[in-house]
Amino acid sequence: MAQKRNAVIVGGGTSKFGVRQAHLLDMIQEAMRACADDIPGLKPVDIDGLIVATTMAGRHSSALNTAPLVVQRLGLSPTSICIRVDTLCAGSNSAIIVAKGLIESGIADVILVTGGEKVYMPQRWETNYTQLAVNDHDWDSAMGLGVPPPFFAMIAKMHMKRYGTTKEQMAHVSVTNYNYGTDSPNGHFGGRTLTMEQALEARIIADPFGLYDCCPLSDGASAVIIASEERAKAMSNRPLVYLRGTGQHATHSMSAGWPGDTLAEWPHLKKAGEVAFKNAKLTPKDMDVIQTHDCFTISEVIELEELGFCKKGEGGAFVASGEIGIKGSIPTNTDGGLLVYGHPFGASGARQAIEICKQLQGRAIHQVKDAAFGLTHNLSGTCAQHTVVVYGKEPVK
Amino acid sequence: MAELQKAEIVGTPALDGQYIGEMDIWPFEAPEFNRIYPFYDNLRAGKFTTTKCKKCGHITFPPQVICPKCWAEELEWVELPKMAKVVTLTETQAGAPLGFESPLIIAWLTFGDKGPLKHLLGRIIHCKEGELKEGDEVKFVTFSVPAHPFEVKKDTKVSDRVYYAFEPVK
Repeated sequence: MAQKRNAVIVGGGTSKFGVRQAHLLDMIQEAMRACADDIPGLKPVDIDGLIVATTMAGRHSSALNTAPLVVQRLGLSPTSICIRVDTLCAGSNSAIIVAKGLIESGIADVILVTGGEKVYMPQRWETNYTQLAVNDHDWDSAMGLGVPPPFFAMIAKMHMKRYGTTKEQMAHVSVTNYNYGTDSPNGHFGGRTLTMEQALEARIIADPFGLYDCCPLSDGASAVIIASEERAKAMSNRPLVYLRGTGQHATHSMSAGWPGDTLAEWPHLKKAGEVAFKNAKLTPKDMDVIQTHDCFTISEVIELEELGFCKKGEGGAFVASGEIGIKGSIPTNTDGGLLVYGHPFGASGARQAIEICKQLQGRAIHQVKDAAFGLTHNLSGTCAQHTVVVYGKEPVK
Repeated sequence: MAELQKAEIVGTPALDGQYIGEMDIWPFEAPEFNRIYPFYDNLRAGKFTTTKCKKCGHITFPPQVICPKCWAEELEWVELPKMAKVVTLTETQAGAPLGFESPLIIAWLTFGDKGPLKHLLGRIIHCKEGELKEGDEVKFVTFSVPAHPFEVKKDTKVSDRVYYAFEPVK
């Protein structure tokens, strides 16, 4: 039997995230440029596959069939795969799962995964309006559920009620992520700092969330190269970072199908994590650094619980005790995460992958010493789906 | 001349104020656009309904064309409970989507352990900000939403529409 091919992440880059004066395709070009800077050995002809992750492109950029547009703008000529994927906030993480399978199976050798969104329109309210179509439109959206803060505010209230989580504990997430993210040059809020007092005194967005409990909506794009081990060695001298295991789990699209006993329990994330760890032949204890979907502070708290980094219900005390800091047991969102780097939906999974790649190659800005294993996680929609990818410096044996 | 055109043409002149379905915030309720339209007819009669599988007995919400448990096509319409209890709620003062008034009150509702519907996110209307509390009872209520035109050959028909929400029990 032939030896199994392994897929690795070679490197990547992002555009500047934020409220941008740029078209979606401009920002994808910026991300490609940053990715090329990160992998000096990479040439356009090396790329035989393209996966583009975007949700808003159809409405906001009038670009429903996005992949050919990206082919033209980046000077590509893919021969193995040329598609767009859409899983909202997990778009490029989903694309990385697809790329892994295509490379391990031998269908593709070098795949560019790029994701991006242009959310800010000439009229800003259009962004909120479009969000009615990213939930289950005819049901939850017709109740007025558009932007996510109201839904996650109810999740936070439920977690506070059932497990005693406090606003102060949640603020530890945003303060920690600001400490990490302030020197991310392309981050939406790069350069800014946040104190506990500022976090707790911020204006209320949706009770119990203040401004800093919520990630921004961002324009932006990211790009990563996923390749076979052999091709990666040919284009880069850096340590190889293997895609070890993946899991993606969905149980419902609207509120009536919510799988938890209450909003504070996310069994679908627990399951996605278990599947990814099993495929990676690793456990949460093996992880050195992680990127979780901190769309709100409460999200990171619950994610640490459901992914198995602390006991269920103890996430609040866990984040407040410094465990997610650089010297803690599990440094989390070490590039600032969604809260500080920003959140252009389709770009976020690849942005997380870049940070884990850098951490495992020993070249992150906030480097975790001797990091060997890491993971990325996205939730999408109103917490309808969870996507987990586990990385390591060694392949699965 | 160029300046004059710039001033006169704003937006998308080709649309000439026409209705664009893809930006509609309400469902297309007419039989021409979906097979679960009896749900909306039942709403007009003040009934909160969904589909039940005749083969396996599973009740699902929202209503479907096939049973998600056993994929049978033999479904029947049944009524859902109209009373629910507020587990938690949120009041949006700013940033409600266009078409929804602020404060927009959204609650997480339970229908009891025995009911076919365990929980549901519901908009609360006929309610002032700060009035609704956790544990309160709310009841199902229907209301009219804007009709929309649609083309049938050379004619234009109008689809009248209705939707539902919940209101405090006073």
